[in-house]
Amino acid sequence: MSPDRPASGPENASGPAVRYPLSQLYFYLTEGCNLACRHCWLAPKLQQGDKIYPMLDVGLLPHILRQAKPLGLQGVKLTGGEPLMHPEILSILEHIRAEDLNCTMETNGVLCTPEIARELARQKGRFVSVSLDGADAETNEWVRGVPGCFDAAVRGIKNLVETGIRPQIILTVMKRNRSHIEPIVRLAEKLGAGSVKFNVLMPTARGEDLHKRGEALPVEELIELGRFVESDLSRRTSLSLIFHHPPVFRPLGRMFGRNGDGCTRCGIFSILGVLADGSYALCGIGETVPELVFGRADRDRLEDVWNNNAVLNDIRTGLPGKLKGVCGECLMKTLCLGSCVAQNYYSTHDLFSPFWFCEEARKKGLFPESRLAK
Amino acid sequence: MSADKPVANPQVVLREEFDDWAVLFDPDTAEGFAVNPVGVLIWKELDGNHDIADIVRVVREKCENVPEDVETHCREFVDSLIRKGLVGTEVTHD
Repeated sequence: MSPDRPASGPENASGPAVRYPLSQLYFYLTEGCNLACRHCWLAPKLQQGDKIYPMLDVGLLPHILRQAKPLGLQGVKLTGGEPLMHPEILSILEHIRAEDLNCTMETNGVLCTPEIARELARQKGRFVSVSLDGADAETNEWVRGVPGCFDAAVRGIKNLVETGIRPQIILTVMKRNRSHIEPIVRLAEKLGAGSVKFNVLMPTARGEDLHKRGEALPVEELIELGRFVESDLSRRTSLSLIFHHPPVFRPLGRMFGRNGDGCTRCGIFSILGVLADGSYALCGIGETVPELVFGRADRDRLEDVWNNNAVLNDIRTGLPGKLKGVCGECLMKTLCLGSCVAQNYYSTHDLFSPFWFCEEARKKGLFPESRLAK
Repeated sequence: MSADKPVANPQVVLREEFDDWAVLFDPDTAEGFAVNPVGVLIWKELDGNHDIADIVRVVREKCENVPEDVETHCREFVDSLIRKGLVGTEVTHD
């Protein structure tokens, strides 16, 4: 709730402090994916058989990282599509390790071999999350669209755990897997995971279709589930549980108390996406919203894109002050920043429109009055 | 630096939440500050009639596992409220 503006960054080569350090690059390594998840906010094409969709040219990686380090780069996130589908994933990981960068990976785990797991285990500041949308094969595969993917993902998780990695399991909550909240925690315990994160189904790309078809849980039920996870279930497991709804719905003690986990927020002031075709973008949203693509790695200087892009500068000067609707009135806006600018823009073509979840909660009388600036 | 008998800014609203934490809302600045249950207890003593020693006594009476250096914590908390303009001292005229 207290002001939390981005800090000044390191001195760059040309002298002045970098006002907005580019601390992390998100690499969307592949346009295709080996799964066809009903809720995916990126909607990559299903890649099976001989059909190959574009993947990041590995030759661009050193070029991009060389330019990003003076801007403050500390780490990268590898995601997709599906990052492990990239045929040169091992050399990508080796290069990141050689550059001494922190490495985060988001994967469906299906292709996580012992060899890849070992290389991930050698990464600096490694953090691996694996998506599982059900605690059994039937539910997971209904969501993820490909038979056999549950057992394969579980095998991948075991390969990670074998190397000492304790991955995070991510489940996107929807009607179909509503009853899997506790079972997925028990499965994660059994597999040796380190934490479980519950994501809210976003109305973006395929997620938007699921919302339209009534497969999403209503906001009131999500708020209730969030309370259950944070106040009940988390007391009955040694795993760290994260229910990823806006912080305004979280108990203050869970964020700011002695054992609080803080107020997580999108790193929009300090991240940039690199899409599989070599484009720079706000994040993966650039796959579906062309105006959130800011240039190309093979043509544009990263420093120019990062410092001079009009959209990025609009976001920097506009957040949180220009947030509209309930987000503009929220006492947590300096921490939350409207939750997800990419989602907000996708829905309204306005960078400062309020987050759908919070607006809906207010309409239903569920937005906590104590957190409003009135 | 804590005022002898600090008093809460009457404009500031204490909004208590379900888990005994609360938000201190300052309508002048439209800012909110999260306060833990002990902070809520202290806030309610900031009526201009209690000094830090009184506040420490209340904390010792009503809280469990109170640390030895509770007075320092209480003083720091009140000082932080003074710095934010949420607390002051009553001015008396002779």
